[in-house]
Amino acid sequence: MPKKKLAVYTATGCAACENTILDIHYDLGSLTRSADIVFWPYVLGSQWDGLNEQGPVDVCFFAGAIRTEADRIAAVRLRSNSKLMVACGACAAFGGLPSLTDLHPETPENRPEHLDEGNEFLLPKLESRVFALEHIVDVDYFVPGCPPTRDFLWAAIQSLVYMGDSPTRISFTASRLPMALAESITSGIVPPRGSVFAGEKAVCASCSRIKEEKKFRGFYRPYEIDPDSGRCLLEQGILCQGLATREGCGGLCTAVGAACRGCFGKAEAVFDPGAKMVSAVSSTFDSTEASEIEGLTKTFVDLAGTFYRYTLATQCALRTPNAEEAKHAPDNS
Amino acid sequence: MTRFEPKIIAFLCNWCSYVAADAAGVSRFVQKPNVRVIRVFCSGMVDPSYVIKAFASGADGVLVAGCHPGDCHYLAGNIKALRRSFLLRKLLSELGVEEKRFRLEWIAASESPLYAKLMNEMIEDVRNLGPCMPSSQKPLKGVA
Repeated sequence: MPKKKLAVYTATGCAACENTILDIHYDLGSLTRSADIVFWPYVLGSQWDGLNEQGPVDVCFFAGAIRTEADRIAAVRLRSNSKLMVACGACAAFGGLPSLTDLHPETPENRPEHLDEGNEFLLPKLESRVFALEHIVDVDYFVPGCPPTRDFLWAAIQSLVYMGDSPTRISFTASRLPMALAESITSGIVPPRGSVFAGEKAVCASCSRIKEEKKFRGFYRPYEIDPDSGRCLLEQGILCQGLATREGCGGLCTAVGAACRGCFGKAEAVFDPGAKMVSAVSSTFDSTEASEIEGLTKTFVDLAGTFYRYTLATQCALRTPNAEEAKHAPDNS
Repeated sequence: MTRFEPKIIAFLCNWCSYVAADAAGVSRFVQKPNVRVIRVFCSGMVDPSYVIKAFASGADGVLVAGCHPGDCHYLAGNIKALRRSFLLRKLLSELGVEEKRFRLEWIAASESPLYAKLMNEMIEDVRNLGPCMPSSQKPLKGVA
């Protein structure tokens, strides 16, 4: 079997997704036996010129959001060079943290200087807003998470690179993926386009904490409270987004007392994560007095930034870009 | 130039507000034609996602109307609607949907003049605000 060719790239992001690929430890060695990583600027220092010489790439793992003109060019180039395009991590899949910059749009006062070609430091032009990868090019698969959990990413790599060639690898992969995906992989079929390599239910389904009656008497920011171990965080007044978020992490954060921040995007059945959280949180308010509820509501800070922390660009129903917008490259001079 | 005609989605509760809207028509109160009524069993079943979906699908204003507190057919459905409204309004305003575009009102079955008055009032309010375009054209407000 000829070696597969892989490409890894991060646009606007922190490269933690790429670190997660490195984090598969010894398995990275076994991966390189059946695949060549032909383009990986972060680790191999690959140049764009070298990409063309390599010929078509089999799988491209694209991380990071599209915020600048350079990101858009990179996405289009890698897409045209790759057979499969995987949006890797919350930024590429949903816009991620960079999309929160849309809450503080560029104004003439805070605008960075785009220097002339002759100058040494040239900043790429900003897009009109932050896009997820799927707004700019066609995306075949999504691996959510900030960063994606190691097991899921490794399972995704194996199922796309080996494509049903290795039974031992497939049993590892199948045990870690949602059933529909696992079944298609074990029977040697490429998973359906647009599949998300994560669970279908909400994080609450895999969270180990005990959920009892929820009564909200006040809202606490994480530093203000030392949560009881073993009891649902939302019950204790911490804004935990587990109930609106796709499962797959196994409740990593909630297990150690940190509230779920929603990095896997919304769960399958949720229409809009913000609406779901508003509904869930406010129905637990322990009051029937309008003034009292209004007082409680005032204690909440930055709802948009909290509920759409990783997903503002794609999953906030009120912010979905229209096709026109995504098509146009920036022309802000 | 033609005048901007806002689209208002009204979620009316089956037991009070919808009856009021019905009676307002039968009684021939003058009402502007910008409202699309959706009958629901209780204002308490209007999930925030319905409201957000309405705005995302092009509504310029959303009204949720139910029975007066204490009169709910299901005992406390309208209180549930009340509880959600504050946080929802706050989220909407952070996402660039002005406060006047979302209203929660109590309209009893016998209050058909009030229904007509409220609707006409809201339509004019929303008309003055202009089309609701939170997605792209306008920068988000945000906080902090």
